[in-house]
Amino acid sequence: MMEIIKVNQLNKSFGDNHVLKDISFTVNKGDVMAIIGSSGSGKSTLLRCLIDLEKADSGDIIMEGKPLLKDGVYPSAPEIRTIIMKMGMVFQHFNLFPHLTVRQNLELAPKVVKKEETGAMNQRCEAYLNKVGLLERIDAMPSTLSGGEKQRVAIARALMMNPDILLFDEPTSALDPELTGEVLSVMQSLANEHMTMVVVTHEMSFAREVANKVVFMDSGTILEEGSPEDIFIHPKEKRTQAFLSSILREQSNKAAKTKKHYRLKKYC
Amino acid sequence: MSDFYIYLSNITLPMLQGMVITLSVFAVTIVCSIPLGFMFTLMARSRLKPVKSLAKGYIYVVRGTPLLLQIMFVYFGLPLLPVVGHYLILGRFTAACLAFCMNYAAYFAEIFRGGLLAIDKGQYEAAKVLGLTKLETMIRVVIPQMIRVCLPAISNETITLVKDTALVTVIGVAEILHYAKTAVNRDSDNFAFLVAAALYLLINFVITMVFKKLETKYEF
Repeated sequence: MMEIIKVNQLNKSFGDNHVLKDISFTVNKGDVMAIIGSSGSGKSTLLRCLIDLEKADSGDIIMEGKPLLKDGVYPSAPEIRTIIMKMGMVFQHFNLFPHLTVRQNLELAPKVVKKEETGAMNQRCEAYLNKVGLLERIDAMPSTLSGGEKQRVAIARALMMNPDILLFDEPTSALDPELTGEVLSVMQSLANEHMTMVVVTHEMSFAREVANKVVFMDSGTILEEGSPEDIFIHPKEKRTQAFLSSILREQSNKAAKTKKHYRLKKYC
Repeated sequence: MSDFYIYLSNITLPMLQGMVITLSVFAVTIVCSIPLGFMFTLMARSRLKPVKSLAKGYIYVVRGTPLLLQIMFVYFGLPLLPVVGHYLILGRFTAACLAFCMNYAAYFAEIFRGGLLAIDKGQYEAAKVLGLTKLETMIRVVIPQMIRVCLPAISNETITLVKDTALVTVIGVAEILHYAKTAVNRDSDNFAFLVAAALYLLINFVITMVFKKLETKYEF
């Protein structure tokens, strides 16, 4: 089993607030790891540390054998850049470039960073947009897209850099409930193609049905990790049980309100 | 009636000469002060304390003193400086342009600062995770969005600049108002001022149109 990311004893504080406490885990090739937990448990910060959007204080982050962080020390800026270029990230608020068309959003980084040849790049751009079902919006400006469409473009944009791992930071949290399905189904199809993914999410159905590893975080620590069955059916920790019952109750209420069954399968 | 047209052309022709000077001061200022202003914006955001303080101090002093005074300082004051003053004896036109560039750079710096504040930090993060360097992020992602945000303010400042060029008469640069005043004093007739006003309006009409076009072009 090939290790993509190995995190060891990672610590991070914002001032006096110790948000990550001795976090260790491994993501293997083809893994879909869901990180769940209540707000403020440190899951987004953990994800942002993996791709150098936050600087950790101590520990190791090893990406495909290369240290992004070794004993709390970062390598030089160009080295960091080559390491994080093997990763892609999808944000909660999409962060598309509003002044560029969908095509330009996808092609900016391959053109500028990889100096990719135009013909091949155009083809890949069209192929990825087709994959996320938005080929017909190729010349649209982001402001004319719905939230779900924006997020699918953002996923296609991340794929353009051929990442070995994709990180998702609550990719559906900013979406209306009826738009989450289209994004989740794109993520599901990526999982089917064995894309390695780490997903911070509140979508328990996604964590249960798509992920093969689930990590439950609570106040800066990994309280429990295991297969979806381990976490959802046989949670060991009291905190995990309490979290799951509260979030599942909340989500079934929401589902009842919108008169939709909260089942991912429906979309896929 | 024909007397009127003869008088009109008599006073307007020199004013058109003056308009060339007005437009020259304007063009030099726009071309120099916008990049200079952006440089000050970046300096004011620098992590190096001295660079930051220098830019902020410069902006404070320039925005805090009258432009008229700055023009006089550059033309009359600089040559009086000890040691270097000897080399700073500038022609009227050069002095006028220098004062305007320095003054407008400070204002543009503040406009750009506002524009940068309007750009979401998610844009920098998205560019970073896609592998863009800081410079590439600036050029490809930040500046185009900043221009869009700043255009209305830049348009406003540009129109002000056209009118401010009238101040250079104080050091005897022969622009529109200079010739208008000459005509008024010579003929004891205020009509020349109306013609001057019409010329300023004409310039600003063109500028307004240009910025309208630019705003549509940069819309997203």
